[in-house]
Amino acid sequence: MSLAALISVLTGTVVDTEALLDSVLASLVAGIFVTVAASVAIFGFATAAEMQRNGRDLAALGAGILAGVATLAFAGAIALGIAVMIHG
Amino acid sequence: MDGDVVLVIVVATALVFDFTNGFHDTANVVATSISTHALSPRVAVGMAALLNFAGAFISIEVAATIASDVVDAAAITPTVIFAGLVGAISWNLITWYFGLPSSSSHALIGGVVGAVIAAVGTSAVEGAGILGKVLIPAIVAPVVAFVIGAIAIIIAYRICARLRPGPVTRGFRLGQIVSGGMLALAHGTNDAQKTMGVITLALIANGNLPSTGFHIPTWVIVASASAIALGTYTGGWRIIRTMGTRIIKMDSAQGFSAQGAGAAVILASSHFGFPLSTTQVIAGGVMGSGAGVRLSAVRWGVAGNIVAAWFLTLPAAAAIGAASYAFTSIFGDGAAGPLILSVLAIMLGLTLFARRIRQGQPVPTV
Repeated sequence: MSLAALISVLTGTVVDTEALLDSVLASLVAGIFVTVAASVAIFGFATAAEMQRNGRDLAALGAGILAGVATLAFAGAIALGIAVMIHG
Repeated sequence: MDGDVVLVIVVATALVFDFTNGFHDTANVVATSISTHALSPRVAVGMAALLNFAGAFISIEVAATIASDVVDAAAITPTVIFAGLVGAISWNLITWYFGLPSSSSHALIGGVVGAVIAAVGTSAVEGAGILGKVLIPAIVAPVVAFVIGAIAIIIAYRICARLRPGPVTRGFRLGQIVSGGMLALAHGTNDAQKTMGVITLALIANGNLPSTGFHIPTWVIVASASAIALGTYTGGWRIIRTMGTRIIKMDSAQGFSAQGAGAAVILASSHFGFPLSTTQVIAGGVMGSGAGVRLSAVRWGVAGNIVAAWFLTLPAAAAIGAASYAFTSIFGDGAAGPLILSVLAIMLGLTLFARRIRQGQPVPTV
């Protein structure tokens, strides 16, 4: 590689640094969002089941709603991922 | 007549590359699901094969063919493509032999670059393109996947810390099936297109398709989808073992974190136009999900071997691609060179495969 090419890397003409940073940020947000959504859904379902076993129906309902919302968020992230695959 | 023979050889070699790509990269999609028992091995590779096949039909925009921005398009001839493919297939088989997950995409780029250098010299190589489109994303992507995998497993463990292990394991196993499916679909979409691009390029170079305003023939799409799916179903079990059990001993939460990190990086990068290696991203995610728990959970010796293979992929595939081109040119510009090399490569490949199979049970009995 020539010195000019190396310099152009630093000035961002070889790599679109803005797009690269956007890509890193989007990856971070998406990766963490998906994990949080799945973890909260698991937490909600497991807690709801336990509360129901203990006869605490209201708490079970709350945990169930939390699990439902988190599952929807997880499904939404998956749908967004498929849309990205199709439309680029 | 000679041109048509070379074209047939190039198409067949491209499909063999596609098969090795699926075979080699099965591990990216199924290794974590198999090692955490989210899916049985046969069900995992069956699902991955089906989704790879479907993924190949999702998008057929071959706008970014494998060689664009990396080498001068005028230097691409069917023989150069053939030699590049031989370089890529050879490196895929060598890394499979040693059970190392390496990038099939980088092998293909390396093979083509090496063949172009042998054909017309270094002037046809776009150094800035290789740096911007291949090398920098190759360094950034696994690091980002590593960081996301590490953060994700910390979050997952925190949220589920007070729960009984049974429901947590079942929940994350279910999540792994979904995230693994996403990865398989994305892999089929990205990697089958490379073969479609290579075959289309050869058809254009041979005059079978116009250079502008062409449509990819349906048989090219179906053949590419079938080859990658068949390769995936065959399964590169040695790489699956490395990725699934030799880097870290993972539980279902770690498997999900690694796959989620990988899927997020691959899809975000696709959206922003950065081509990258699914293998490197998933391996980065696996290492991150281990290091997030504790640094010593990662077998750094194995990780080091894998990273060394990544660094070697481009130059090694380029060297084999260049040697392949030099060998074929001994027999002139006709079909004799590619034909003789194909026969030799098939014999060598079969010998290697038979020897490796004899050395150990290729399919895990888990």
